[in-house]
Amino acid sequence: MFRVSVDIGGTFTDLVAMDEEGNLTNIKVPTTPRRPEAGVLEAFRRFLESHRPEEVSMVVHATTIATNALFGQLELELPRAALITTRGFRDVIEIGRQRRPELYNLFFRRPRPLVSRRDRYEVDERIDSKGRVIKPLSRREVSSIAEKIRMEGIQTVAIGFLNSYANPIHEIEVKKIIESECPGVFVTASCEVSPEYREYERISTAVVNAVLMPIVHTYIGRLLEGLRRIGVRAPLYIMQSSGGLTPAEDVSHRPASIVESGPASGVVASTFYGRLLGLGDILSFDMGGTTAKAGAVRGGKPEMVTEYEVGGRVHKGRIVKGSGYPVRFPFIDLAECSAGGGTIAWVDEGGSLRVGPLSAGAHPGPACYGLGGGKPTITDANLLLGRLPNSLIGGRLRLDRRLAEEAVRREISEPLGIDVSEASSSIIRVANSLMAKILRIVSVERGYDPRDFTLIAFGGAGPMHACALAEELGISRIIVPINPGLFSALGLLVSDVKYTFVRALMAKVDEVEAERLETLFKELEHEGWRTLKKDGFTDDHIVFICEVDARYLGQSYELTIPAERPLTEAGVERLEASFHERHRLIYGYMERSEPVEIVNIRLTAIGLMEKPKPRRRRLEEAEPPRESLKGFRMVYFEDPDEYVRCPIYQRERLKPGNRVDGPLVVEQYDSTTVIYPGWSLLVDCYGNLKIEREGCHEG
Amino acid sequence: MKVDPVTLEVVRGALTYIAEEMGIALRNSAYSPNIKERMDHSCAIFDPKRRLVAQAEHIPVHLGSMSYAVKMGLEHFREALGDGDMILFNDPYYSGTHLPDMTLIAPVYHEGELVAYVANKAHHSDVGGKTPGSLAGDATELFQEGIIIPPVKFVKAGEIDGELAELILSNVRTPKITMGDLRAQIAANNLGARRILELVEKYGVKRLHSAMEAVMDYSERRMRAEIGRMPEGSYEAEDYLEDTGVSDEPVKIKVKITIKGTNITFDYTGTDPQVEGPVNAPLGVTISGIYFTLICVTDPTIPINDGCYRPVSVIVPEGCLLNPRRPAPVAGGNVETSQRNVDVLLRAFAKIVPERVCAAGQGTMNNISVGGIDPETGKPWTFYETIAGGYGARLGMDGVDGIHVHMTNTMNTPIETIESYYPIRFLRYCLRRDSGGPGKWRGGCGIERSWMLLAPSATLSILAERSKIPPWGLFGGKPGAPGEYLLIKSSGETIRLRSKCTVRMERGDILVIRTPGGGGYGNPLERDPKLVLRDVLDGLVSLDSARRDYGVVIDPETMELDLEATRKLRENLSASERQMEGL
Repeated sequence: MFRVSVDIGGTFTDLVAMDEEGNLTNIKVPTTPRRPEAGVLEAFRRFLESHRPEEVSMVVHATTIATNALFGQLELELPRAALITTRGFRDVIEIGRQRRPELYNLFFRRPRPLVSRRDRYEVDERIDSKGRVIKPLSRREVSSIAEKIRMEGIQTVAIGFLNSYANPIHEIEVKKIIESECPGVFVTASCEVSPEYREYERISTAVVNAVLMPIVHTYIGRLLEGLRRIGVRAPLYIMQSSGGLTPAEDVSHRPASIVESGPASGVVASTFYGRLLGLGDILSFDMGGTTAKAGAVRGGKPEMVTEYEVGGRVHKGRIVKGSGYPVRFPFIDLAECSAGGGTIAWVDEGGSLRVGPLSAGAHPGPACYGLGGGKPTITDANLLLGRLPNSLIGGRLRLDRRLAEEAVRREISEPLGIDVSEASSSIIRVANSLMAKILRIVSVERGYDPRDFTLIAFGGAGPMHACALAEELGISRIIVPINPGLFSALGLLVSDVKYTFVRALMAKVDEVEAERLETLFKELEHEGWRTLKKDGFTDDHIVFICEVDARYLGQSYELTIPAERPLTEAGVERLEASFHERHRLIYGYMERSEPVEIVNIRLTAIGLMEKPKPRRRRLEEAEPPRESLKGFRMVYFEDPDEYVRCPIYQRERLKPGNRVDGPLVVEQYDSTTVIYPGWSLLVDCYGNLKIEREGCHEG
Repeated sequence: MKVDPVTLEVVRGALTYIAEEMGIALRNSAYSPNIKERMDHSCAIFDPKRRLVAQAEHIPVHLGSMSYAVKMGLEHFREALGDGDMILFNDPYYSGTHLPDMTLIAPVYHEGELVAYVANKAHHSDVGGKTPGSLAGDATELFQEGIIIPPVKFVKAGEIDGELAELILSNVRTPKITMGDLRAQIAANNLGARRILELVEKYGVKRLHSAMEAVMDYSERRMRAEIGRMPEGSYEAEDYLEDTGVSDEPVKIKVKITIKGTNITFDYTGTDPQVEGPVNAPLGVTISGIYFTLICVTDPTIPINDGCYRPVSVIVPEGCLLNPRRPAPVAGGNVETSQRNVDVLLRAFAKIVPERVCAAGQGTMNNISVGGIDPETGKPWTFYETIAGGYGARLGMDGVDGIHVHMTNTMNTPIETIESYYPIRFLRYCLRRDSGGPGKWRGGCGIERSWMLLAPSATLSILAERSKIPPWGLFGGKPGAPGEYLLIKSSGETIRLRSKCTVRMERGDILVIRTPGGGGYGNPLERDPKLVLRDVLDGLVSLDSARRDYGVVIDPETMELDLEATRKLRENLSASERQMEGL
C-alpha cells in the first residue's frame, strides 16, 4: 500500500508515493496554474500507469490555492463577499491597526480590503466586554440585509461583532438568519474561526475565511471528483498551516487554516525524523531555488505561532505588520529569506555586495544554466568554488563554468576590484549571513540556544550550506536525510490530523478555580473527541494537547504555556510557575509578585496516523566502498581560505556505517552535501548523512 | 584597518539585527500598551565616539533624536560609566524629545575597553505632571509636564538604584507600569550588550570598529549620490501651527533648503520665536523631521546611521519654536510640531522633486489622554492614544484612508482591549465621508472615533492640530477637511472643543473626534469619473461633493454616471475657475 502526497509548486506539481517502509518515489509534471487540480490528476494518471488505484491508502495534499488567491493571482478572482458588523464599526477591517507597512516610503499602499466598503453592513446590536447584551440584535435589520445579499448575488458572508469573544449569541443568531434566508451562500461567524479578543484580528480572520470558502470548496470538489473518476477512493487530506492534516470534506468550512499549507511540511518531516533518530531539539533548514526557510522543533513538537499575516510581505525574515491580512490560526513558526540557488548577487551604489532579493528562478536560472540568465547567483558561486559538480539531476542539466565566471567577473569582481574566487566566496558568505539570521529568528529570538539543537538540512541547496551555518550558530550535529529534495513531501506523508479549539477566558490565575479550567478543558476535549471520532479515529489514536495563553496582567502579548491534566489547584500553581520561567527565558526577567492573567485556553486534538517504519540496515565497515569514490576536485573552504583537494563521493553507493573525515563532497541525484574540514561524516542505519564536529561522534 | 566589502555587509547586517532584536525584547517584555501594542520605542547602537551606527526605530520621531540624546546625555553626565552602569533621562533639553520618552544608555566594555554604547528610548504612558498621560494641551512651562530626570545613573553595576527608582515612581500616576517598562528597557540594553560582545568574540575589537567606520562611510556615499542628483539651488516653504494651546495666534515655521553639490542645508531662519504653550519642539525633534523627510525623498534603503547625516547642515536659531530655551514646555513638539515641520519640508521638496512628494497628510497625531480614579478599584487609571487620519495624495496614487502619517506609526489599541480595562464604551470607529481633499488623486479620508465615559468623572486632554488650517493640496489638489472635536454632554448639549485643551468629563458624556483628511494632488476636474463613482458607492464621497468638487454627475436613482452631463459640468467649472483666476 502507498500513501501519496501531492504538492503544487510554481513550476512543477510533485507527486511522492511512500511504501510502508518509507521508501519514496517521485513523479513530476508541469503545474497548471489555471486549473491546479488538472496537474494533480495528471500526476496520478502517471502513477497509476504502474500501480493499481486500490494500492493508494491515503492522499495528502498541500495546496497554495488559498495563498495564491490572496496574493491576487489572476486566475483566482476573489468572490464578492459581504461583512455584517456592529453599527458604527464597518471600517474596523479597513483601518486595521492604523499603521503604514513602510515608514519611509511616501508611495506605500495598504492591502485592498477583501470586502468593499459598500458591502459592509452595520446592524444595531451591542455586547459589552463582560459579555452582557447592552443592545439587543435587530432581526428586522438582519432580514433586510439578507434580502440585499440575495439581490446583489453575494456568494459569501462574514459576521463580526464587537466583543463576540465574550458572548457569541448575536453572531450565531445572524448566521442562522442568513443561512435560512440566503440558501447556497457561505457564512463565517468570527466566533467560530477565532473566538479570541482583539476585534480587528478576529474579524479579519473571519473575512479571509469567507472569501476563501467558495474558491476552496470548488477546488476540493473538483479534485475529489477527479480522483474518484480515475478510481482513487482513498481518503483525501489537506495540510493546514499548523502542520496538521484535515479531511478535505472539512476544509471548505475553515479554508483560512490552510493558507500556508505547503511551507510547514518540511518542519513536520524534521519532527518525524527527530523522533525516529532520537535527536532532541531540531532546527529545520530548507533551501530551494528561490528561498530558504527555517523552523524549530522543541520537545518533539514544531514551534508554533497563533497569528500570521497572509498575503503580506516578508522583510528580513519577518512578516511586515500591516502588509497583509491577519489570520488567527495556529501556524508553524517559520522565518524565510530570499536566498536560494537562483538568488542573484549584486553590487549596490555604495559599493556593498548584496545577495537577493531578486531571483533568477528556474528560468532563465543561474548564469551557468546557459539559458540566458547573465546574472551571478548563489549556484554560480558554488559552482566556481568547486562545491557543485559540472552537471545536475543525473547529468540532465549541464552547468557551464565559463558562463558563471563571466557573470561573477562582470557583476561582482570588477566593480569591487577582487578576483573571481574571492568574489564567489564573498557571495557565499553574505548569503550564509542572511540564512544564519533566519535560523536565529526561530531560535535565539524565541529564547533558545541554537547550540543545543541538531540541524536538519534539506531542499536541493540546503546540504551545501549546512556546515557553514552550523559553524556560525555553534551547532555541532547535522543530519542530511536520504532524499533532501523530497524531504518536504515526506512531511505530508507522516503528518497527523489536527484540530485546534480555543476559548477566551480573561481571568487572573489566582482568581480562577482549577475546577472551572478543568471543566472548560473537558468541554473542548469532548468537542475534539467527537470531531476525531467522526473522522474514524479510535480512542487509542486520539491525543490532546492542553495549553493556556497567559501574560502578566496589563501586558498585551501572551505566551502559550502547557497545562497538565487533570488540572488541580497544584497544577494551576505549576502552570503559573512555568509561565514565570518561560517569561524569564524569552524576555530576560520575571516578576513573581505580578498577577498572571489567563487570556485563552487552547486544546489541540490530534488523530494519530500510522507512521512508516523505515528499515534499519546493518552497519557495514567504516571504510566506504571503493566504487563510491568518484574522484577528486579542488573545493574552496572559508577556513583555511583556500582551495583544498577534496574527495567526491557518490551518495547512492555509500553504505550504512561508512565514515569519512572532512573535507569531502557527497553528490547525489537531487542534492550535493559539502562537509567542511573539522567535520566528519557517518552514514547511519537509515542511509542518512550524520555530520558531526570532530570529536563529537558517538558510537 | 581596511574592511573587505563582505565583512562590511555581514557586520552591517549583524548590527542592525542587534538593534532589531533589542526592540523585540523591549516590546515583548514591556507593560504599557503604548510600547506593546503601539511600538512607541526605538533602539540603537553607537560607536565609542557616540556616533550612530545602527538603529531599529518603529517611529520616525526617534530617528534623529536618538543621536542627539546620546551625545547630549553622555556629555552632561561627566562621571565615568562603568561596566553594568546605565544612565536614564527624559529631560527634553538633553534627550531631544518630550518628557514621556525615557532614554536609557549603557556602555559596552570588552576587557576594560569601551566597544560601543547601546541605547533605547520608549514612550511611557505617564510621567506625572498636571494631567494623566503627561501631554497637557495647556502647559506653560516644562515643570507642569511631568517629572524631569536629568542624566542619572539608574543602573549601577547591574543593579537598579532603588532610591532613584522610588523617587521616579513617586512622581508618576501608574508606577507599576512605569517600572515594568523601565525593566523592559534595561533588558533590551543588556541583550544588545551581550550581542555586541559576541561580535567582538568573532571579529575582535579593532576589526569591529573598522567595520563600523566602513558602515557609516557607505551610507554617506549613498546619501551624497542621492543629493548630487537634485537640482542645485535654494528652495523655501512655510506653514503654520494653528495655535499654541495657550494663545490663539498661529505660529509660523519657515525653511530654506539649499542644495550645493552633494551637500544639503536646512535653514529655519524666519521661524517664529518659541511660544508659551506646549508646542515647542526640542532640537532633537526638529532634526528627526529633517532626516525623516530626507530619507523619504531620497532612498529609504540607505542604512540609517551617522554617515547619512554627514552631508546635512542644520541652522535653527536658538529661542525659536524649533530650538527653544529651557524651560519652555515641549509635550506637543514630538507629536504635533514635528508633523508640521515635515509638512513644511515636503512643501519645499515639492519644488525640488515634485514627483517624489505627497500633499499634506492629516498633519497631527490627535493625542487623546484620559484618566481618573477607577470607581471599582479606587486606583488611578490613564489611557492614552493617537488617532490616524488621511494621508496626502501622491502623483498617480490616492492618499490612504485612515492611517498614521509621517512622524508616527503607532498602532491603535484594540477597542476590545480598551473596553475591558477602562471605563469607556465605544460608539463609532469609521472613515469620514468627504474629508479627503479632492484632486486628480484624492487625499485620504480622516477617521471618526467616538466613545462614552462610564466612570463618574475623568480628565480629558486633547493635543491636536489642523482644526483651523486644513492640510494643503498640491498642483491643483484641494485641501483635506480640518479636524473636529466634540463633547456631547449627557444633557444633550454639544460643546465644540479646541484642538488643544484639558476638560472634565462626566458619566454619560460622549467624545467625538473627527480627524483631518489628506490634501489632494492635481486638479479634481481631471479625476477619472469612474473613480469618483466608486468613492460615492463606497460612501467616501457624497453625491454633492462629486458634483461640486469633481464635476461628476451621478444619477441618484440608478447610481450611474452621466458622462455627458459630467463633461458639460466640468467645462463650466473649468471656465469659472479660469475666470476666478483672472480676477
